Amino acid sequence: MHDIIKRLDEKRAAARLGGGQKRIDAQHAKGKLSARERIELLLDPDSFEEWDMFVEHRCTDFGMDGQKIPGDGVVTGYGTINGRLVFLFSQDFTVFGGALSEAHAEKICKVMDHAMKAGAPVIGLNDSGGARIQEGVASLGGYADVFQRNVLASGVVPQISMIMGPCAGGAVYSPAMTDFIFMVKDSSYMFVTGPEVVKTVTHEEVTAEELGGALTHSTRSGVADLAFENDVEALMMLRRLISFLPANNREKPPRVPTEDPASRADLSLDTLVPDNPNQPYDIKELILKTLDENDFFELGPEYAKNIVTGFGRMNGSTVGIVANQPMVLAGCLDIRSSIKGARFVRFCDAFNIPVVTFVDVPGFLPGTAQEYGGIIRHGAKLLYAYAECTVPKVTVITRKAYGGAYDVMSSKHLRGDVNFAWPSAEIAVMGPKGAVEIIFRKDIGDAQKIADRTQEYKAKFANPFVAGARGFIDDVIMPHETRARICRSLAMLKDKKLENPWRKHGNIPL
Amino acid sequence: MFKKILVANRGEIACRVIRTARRMGIRTVAVYSDADRNARHVELADEAVPIGPAPSRESYLREDAIVEACRLTRAQAVHPGYGFLSENAAFCERIEREGIVFIGPKAHSMRAMGDKISSKKLALAAGVNTIPGHNDAIETASEAVRIAAAIGYPVMIKASAGGGGKGLRVASDDAACAQAWESCRNEARNAFGDERVFIEKYVEQPRHIEIQVLGDAHGNLVYLWERECSIQRRHQKVLEEAPSSFLDEKTRHAMGRQAVALARAVNYQSAGTVEFVVSRDRSFYFLEMNTRLQVEHPVTEMITGLDLVELMIRAAAGERLPLAQEDVRLEGWAIECRINAEDPLRNFLPSTGRLVRYLPPPEAEGAVRVDTGVQEGGEIPVHYDPMIAKLIAHGASRSQAITRMRDALNAFVIRGVSSNIAFQAALMQHPRFLAGDFDTGFMNEEYPEGFSAAALVHDDPLLLAAVAAFARRRYIDRAVRTSGQLHGHGRKVGNEWTVLMGDRSYALTLDPIDGGYAVMHDGQTCELKSAWRLGEFLFRGTWNGEPVCLQLERIGLRYRVCHWGTQADMMVVSARAAHLLSLMPDKPAPDLSRFLLSPMPGLLTEVPVRVGQEVKAGEKLAAIEAMKMENILKAERDCTVAEVMAKRGDNLAVDQPILRFA
Repeated sequence: MHDIIKRLDEKRAAARLGGGQKRIDAQHAKGKLSARERIELLLDPDSFEEWDMFVEHRCTDFGMDGQKIPGDGVVTGYGTINGRLVFLFSQDFTVFGGALSEAHAEKICKVMDHAMKAGAPVIGLNDSGGARIQEGVASLGGYADVFQRNVLASGVVPQISMIMGPCAGGAVYSPAMTDFIFMVKDSSYMFVTGPEVVKTVTHEEVTAEELGGALTHSTRSGVADLAFENDVEALMMLRRLISFLPANNREKPPRVPTEDPASRADLSLDTLVPDNPNQPYDIKELILKTLDENDFFELGPEYAKNIVTGFGRMNGSTVGIVANQPMVLAGCLDIRSSIKGARFVRFCDAFNIPVVTFVDVPGFLPGTAQEYGGIIRHGAKLLYAYAECTVPKVTVITRKAYGGAYDVMSSKHLRGDVNFAWPSAEIAVMGPKGAVEIIFRKDIGDAQKIADRTQEYKAKFANPFVAGARGFIDDVIMPHETRARICRSLAMLKDKKLENPWRKHGNIPL
Repeated sequence: MFKKILVANRGEIACRVIRTARRMGIRTVAVYSDADRNARHVELADEAVPIGPAPSRESYLREDAIVEACRLTRAQAVHPGYGFLSENAAFCERIEREGIVFIGPKAHSMRAMGDKISSKKLALAAGVNTIPGHNDAIETASEAVRIAAAIGYPVMIKASAGGGGKGLRVASDDAACAQAWESCRNEARNAFGDERVFIEKYVEQPRHIEIQVLGDAHGNLVYLWERECSIQRRHQKVLEEAPSSFLDEKTRHAMGRQAVALARAVNYQSAGTVEFVVSRDRSFYFLEMNTRLQVEHPVTEMITGLDLVELMIRAAAGERLPLAQEDVRLEGWAIECRINAEDPLRNFLPSTGRLVRYLPPPEAEGAVRVDTGVQEGGEIPVHYDPMIAKLIAHGASRSQAITRMRDALNAFVIRGVSSNIAFQAALMQHPRFLAGDFDTGFMNEEYPEGFSAAALVHDDPLLLAAVAAFARRRYIDRAVRTSGQLHGHGRKVGNEWTVLMGDRSYALTLDPIDGGYAVMHDGQTCELKSAWRLGEFLFRGTWNGEPVCLQLERIGLRYRVCHWGTQADMMVVSARAAHLLSLMPDKPAPDLSRFLLSPMPGLLTEVPVRVGQEVKAGEKLAAIEAMKMENILKAERDCTVAEVMAKRGDNLAVDQPILRFA
């Protein structure tokens, strides 16, 4: 017995050291923390319950039977973040470069299976060189086992990937199927094929950072939702994100006590929308002044900036915010913003998070780049997402709601529960100038007539009353009462029940 | 008394005039340009008349539009405020011809004082000190010495064609004077081709001190003491106070009497200001007379208990001054800080845009006064001057006034545009200001490159650290009350925190006490109490029992605390996290020297370079128009343009790249 305890202590000590102090130091020298240090920062103190510390790989080829490290390159288990349960795995780059073996994959699968049963988020801290080549197809099988679980867990429990080192080749597809991907600047990269292969095949010379670094993915590809300065900041912010999310799809979003009054009025919002309809303004000011405590957790702040997405709280409960941003491309919908918005709306819908939409959209972005790129299919994603969505939906039209984009942005017709408009709202098929040139084509060339017609059209349609007369909007509200009216609407919708017809699954235009 | 007056101005002064008129039961008419449609003065007035597009010369400077607005609204009198049409004698005459009263001096007084030469002559005739000098060219060194001795040393010898410090010598005795005459004449001949040289009294460590005068139509005139306005930047006053810590009773009265004599000489019938330059030895010389209400008039009001706008209105309506010289009080001390939309970090360049947050400190009768022209959600247009408010503090003594001003500045929140609030707060701490040891050179000597709040060190950094830790604790205390926790496995919150402030770190222990925390650091315990609520911009509370007010904002993981002109960004973490953070690499900020960034928001009016062009240091790269000012951006070193990233006519945000260099 004593002997066993001694051996246990030795094994634990060996497991804790992973690939050894030298490799941990090397990891630090690269500006990266060790797998266990990361867990320490992510979880509440002393809350980590580790599993499978004694798992070892079963490979005997290429001399691998002589190299066994307890844990086999990944630390797994569960713990709490602000007292709330999360499951996690943290890949250990110091052990075989974090390479994924069959046993390593089994450990990941185990926590995922438990997370599904217990109904709690899965967080992956990725730092792995890729497949354990010595194991061959067994390693590939391991990846696929993880992929399968990612898909089954999708929409059941939140899945979050934090890329904190390399993540290349097939390995990228596990994070790709999770709900959010975060990356650390300068020390993480993700790509399907690395710079060497790229050079051989396409003769492009590109660094790993340029090809798949945090900046690339958070600004150009949109693969990553956020990029952080370093490991510590990344993990502290991840804790903050978790505080907004429900643990699973059966649970309501978490509530916190707040001292910010639901009825708080903000008179400065009455001057937010400029008199000139072509002058932009920052929609984030409205978001910050509407949410509890000016607290907005933005996702994708540097990608498709013409749509703003993120989480906040209203009266203590999580809401998802989707807003057109007039500061960028006049707030137009394009391929990227449609996809960004659609993904976010679907996440909220899957996890019972009410969606608050602020609309100022002049339409879809025109052009060959958009049409050839498939704006028809991609734009449809956002439409599909909103139409399919059954969580409480509150919409505020601040200014323009033109054309098909009006329909898309959580309109009444797509089962918007409460649709408000500010007095500055213009709900119409298109802007006055374009409309007049079509309706009164014969008058083109007669500047005076066109001006008169434009004035006439403006008086008739550039206001919220036409839509109001049909009940497409429920009320015209003053900007300063936006928070109070949304809070009250959400309270009213707290127990909203709405179900879509049974089907195997819908066919979103992918 | 008038039933209705029109205020031909905008911003804080329009609001301030309306305030008094309303108290007097007079209805008010505001005028506004297109840019001011939602401005505060428009909202405050009983009626408002649009007078044209945003540029001043198409609106606020349009005499016909103002006259028309008076007709339209049947306003009986016009208060011009300061600037715009306030010293325009022709305008004054024009409206009086229309039967509308001009609330201010008569046109003849304005004309007499409007011209530098004639006003100096008038001053001499009225027995007012003017800067002694010899206005004819001096032909020999001995003549120079003779004249200098008559004026009294030190003297300034300057070339007729000189300027900007060139062709200028100071001499303090006969030998130096002769030599200076010689070299000045040589330099003048060589540099300007004009060897004429003059002599004038040299005013050492000059201070700008002005006397407020007030008259009526019945020949009564009083002086309302002085205002000290020496703290100036590029001839723009930054801060004013009354009285001046530099004057003695004798000088004060002497200046007052001369000011009244001058006002009497031009039959002055309203509020006006006589500006003097005062030398180190308290000799004073007339500079000019401002025939209008001054920006800094509130400091005079605070120490005299008078309302100058009311007195101007009454005088214009023909009433007699309600007081004689011996009735004028001088009680306590008043300071005014001009609150400008400008960026001290960028050498005080103007800042424009939307006032996303605007929370002036609360007013307190006789102690704190805020003359503001804007409101939260308002817009700072590019067309007018950048002053958006004036903060005035009054106290029984100068030090009490300073303390009140500091507290008020700490509580003044502006977001969306940059402001000089932190700078003013730092000024309130400056030892030379506190000692009253300054002259008109102060700003150039102390702040030649502008001012950075982040670079300033707080006297008591522990307070800043404690506030950051307090805020973090509040966020955690709230987080541990989230729904859905594992029963019996809640988060244990430690008491030990490390606050990281720049390259310094503070290990703090926070023990909850009633209303706050006992903060232990390095064996020392301080108490920080506050009812601060999450997300609030102002942190009011007590620090060891002393009331404090700081500004606090959570930006990502950092807590930004501003106090007394300093600004610190802090992270509050566990000791363990602090250690792990220390392992993280220092990432140098991206190299922005390869870019030409817009130093301010504004309109890009010119980009005279093209891709591939080699430019030399000092060459013009771009021009940006903001606040009526054209700002030329020049190359700091020789370089080649690699990319032009913005084009003419673009509206630039601050720090937006314009050019990239190879």
